[in-house]
Amino acid sequence: MPLSFTIALAGNPNVGKSTIFNALTGTRQHVGNWPGKTVEKKEGTTRINDYEIVVVDLPGTYSLTAYSLEEVIARDFIVNEKPSMVVAVVDASNPERNLYLVAQLLELEVPVIVALNMSDVAHSRGLKIDAQELSKRLGGIPVVETIGNRSVGIDKLKRAIFELATREHPGIVPQIAYGDPLEAEIDALQAEIEQDELLSQTYHPRWLAIKLLEEDEDVTGRLAAGDHETVLLTARQAAQRILDCTGEDAETLIANRRYMFIGDVVSGAVVRPTTAVETRSDKIDKVVTHRVWGVPIFLLLMWILFQFTANVSTPLLDWIGGVVNGPITRWALAILDTLGVEGTWLAALVVDGIIAGVGGVLIFVPVLLFLYLAVAVLEDSGYMARAAFVMDRVMRLMGLHGKSFMPMMVGFGCTVPAVYATRALENEDDRKLTAFLTTFMSCGARLPVYVVFGAAFFGDKAGNLTFAMYVLGIATALFTGFVIKRIVYRNKPPQPFVLELPPYRLPTPTSVWLQVWENISEFLQKATTVILACSIVIWLLLALPINGDADSFNNVQPQDSVFGSLAGTIAPVFGPAGFDSWRTTGALISGFIAKEVVVGTMNQVYVGEAASSTPGEADKTNPFRDDVGEIVTGFGDAVILTAQEIVNIVPRTVNIIPGVHIPEADWLNQQEEKVGSSRLEGALVAAFERTAGSPDKGRLAAVAFNVFVLLYVPCMTAVAAMRQEFGTRWMAYQIVYTAGIAWLAAVIVYQGGLLLGLG
Amino acid sequence: MIIAQTTLDQLTPGQRARVKRIAGKGAVRRRLMDMGVIRGVEIEVVKVAPMGDPIEYLLRGYHLSLRRSEAQMIEIEDR
Repeated sequence: MPLSFTIALAGNPNVGKSTIFNALTGTRQHVGNWPGKTVEKKEGTTRINDYEIVVVDLPGTYSLTAYSLEEVIARDFIVNEKPSMVVAVVDASNPERNLYLVAQLLELEVPVIVALNMSDVAHSRGLKIDAQELSKRLGGIPVVETIGNRSVGIDKLKRAIFELATREHPGIVPQIAYGDPLEAEIDALQAEIEQDELLSQTYHPRWLAIKLLEEDEDVTGRLAAGDHETVLLTARQAAQRILDCTGEDAETLIANRRYMFIGDVVSGAVVRPTTAVETRSDKIDKVVTHRVWGVPIFLLLMWILFQFTANVSTPLLDWIGGVVNGPITRWALAILDTLGVEGTWLAALVVDGIIAGVGGVLIFVPVLLFLYLAVAVLEDSGYMARAAFVMDRVMRLMGLHGKSFMPMMVGFGCTVPAVYATRALENEDDRKLTAFLTTFMSCGARLPVYVVFGAAFFGDKAGNLTFAMYVLGIATALFTGFVIKRIVYRNKPPQPFVLELPPYRLPTPTSVWLQVWENISEFLQKATTVILACSIVIWLLLALPINGDADSFNNVQPQDSVFGSLAGTIAPVFGPAGFDSWRTTGALISGFIAKEVVVGTMNQVYVGEAASSTPGEADKTNPFRDDVGEIVTGFGDAVILTAQEIVNIVPRTVNIIPGVHIPEADWLNQQEEKVGSSRLEGALVAAFERTAGSPDKGRLAAVAFNVFVLLYVPCMTAVAAMRQEFGTRWMAYQIVYTAGIAWLAAVIVYQGGLLLGLG
Repeated sequence: MIIAQTTLDQLTPGQRARVKRIAGKGAVRRRLMDMGVIRGVEIEVVKVAPMGDPIEYLLRGYHLSLRRSEAQMIEIEDR
């Protein structure tokens, strides 16, 4: 007997499977992806006596069919990796539907332990379950009562795992009887499969026979590819005989029989209350999905979520930005100084390439922290399913799912968390399409561009430009969703919406925190490479001279660098849109690093203001101690401001009502400093006029430029997020599509405006 | 002769019915069966979403939300 073995954890969604996983493995877990898939794979280890046990958390599924990726992953793992056993987590308050998965696990002839979870909830709803009787009726497989979120029953579960693994004779897995005429056909098919050595080694013959009769696409596909035509033919004939004989297809008959088997098991082991008790969950639901109140409550919650990702995260984000650009950069310069390489290209690479890149990753941590906190609470509480229930009708217009609304809303704050927020969707296609569309929700970093241009070209009507950009973004998302649904997904069979509305639960801090931590550490691991590479490449482009003095590497004016000449080369592309100067193009290119940079770059190239004041020149007596002090007090302030922003959600929300104004809290007396950008505004008007030819044309070109900024390729962090979630190909599609549609829209605006006589 | 079949989407909140069969095929039908919507099971309409679709049902002691188009696939026994 080896001192190490693998077990798998299976169960329906919303049954507390992850609480069992966490209780078993503690902190010894690792999150990754299933090979070649975007589905998350969690693995952990636990010790029982002298045994080291690897626990693999299978995706939460209701069944083991071939129709969903998660289900294929789960059963492939059981078939191919042959774990020593499967622990099936069963929601005690909903035994029938949960046991359906157990029935299918039994068909796979893998040893099964049932963890009857949340038995406390079942009791509170008046359900009585006799675990011993349940075990007996399931043919003697162990049944252990657990309460995962309070770690109750975990020791008993471990003991059961140990006993089953060390048992001399693994015992017989109970079989479900499918009755006539199915049973005879299964037997015959099974016998034929057993003749084939390769097949019977790979699959359990009876399971394969059942799957073939169900006409399971995945299994038949694999057999067809493996040249097993005769078995497939026999199976097809058998299925036809069943249909002729009973008038129903084998798939239906088999599902019916499984539920009959479950009915028998449950009837003797579960006592339901005679009258249904109205639970607290039912009462909450009456309000939350109310005909009138449902939508306003949903919108309010989304607004709060948006506030969390967009505003509450800002103080910590600023703090991290300040620490990276201030003290950390100063320290790095000081170290480089002592190494005697100050002022060289190496120092510049470290400061402008590497530190800036890493800082670019780190500043997203607060945003993602608040996003994942909010999402974990919405998910664990059971509200997410209700959100989908309330919004499905609207989102379907775009070919999306009710759950797609939440990521779209987050997208108005920042595209990066929006892409990750699509994880709430189960279906891969829905996830991809939703993530694809979130980039058109104008993110917070694009806003300054509209504000500066609005003030420069439209004076006191500046707000109109901003409003028009938000509307255009939503319209583009609607259009894109419609096109993708009608053209790209045209031949896709309809995906089931069929959604369980789980009972409301109070989220536990441990579970919420674990989700936040897992997601953020994954982001740090995966996004860093792309972002670091991008910022080094941009730095290099800016440092390489192409005109003028050839020796001036790392010491060139932007227009003489490769960056400048690249911008100059690309610029004519924007001729039809009216803004073909290398300066605007350069601003757009740097906007790929982060949309916040667009206005900064424009300041640099139009006004000639050195935006990056060289740090480290302050004459401090003890710079190190001052820096540490700055970091600490800065953090303290950031925490206070974060709390303030949470409080400020209330006035911001109430102030939406016309005629109401509650002042926002300002605990640290930080009046909004207005950025003095009037010089930039003047320079912009002059420059756009010059490029386009006349004041009116210049204004039109400015609008076209804003349209382009709204729609074009999101920042590199968002692109990295897309790659992490959906792979390089989807990332490429997105880059090409966004660049294309942005250009097209900008040209339409400019040329259309000219035709209408606006220029 | 075509006889109009009563389907689940025609019920109003509070009404119950037993399932006769699921029409159609493919992923949606399969998912419905996996969720326990099979012949003979009793389903109650709980409520309709604010915008008229989807609809919340109660079966086997749990709540399930279906789009109207999905409920239309479920044929029910006449009472």
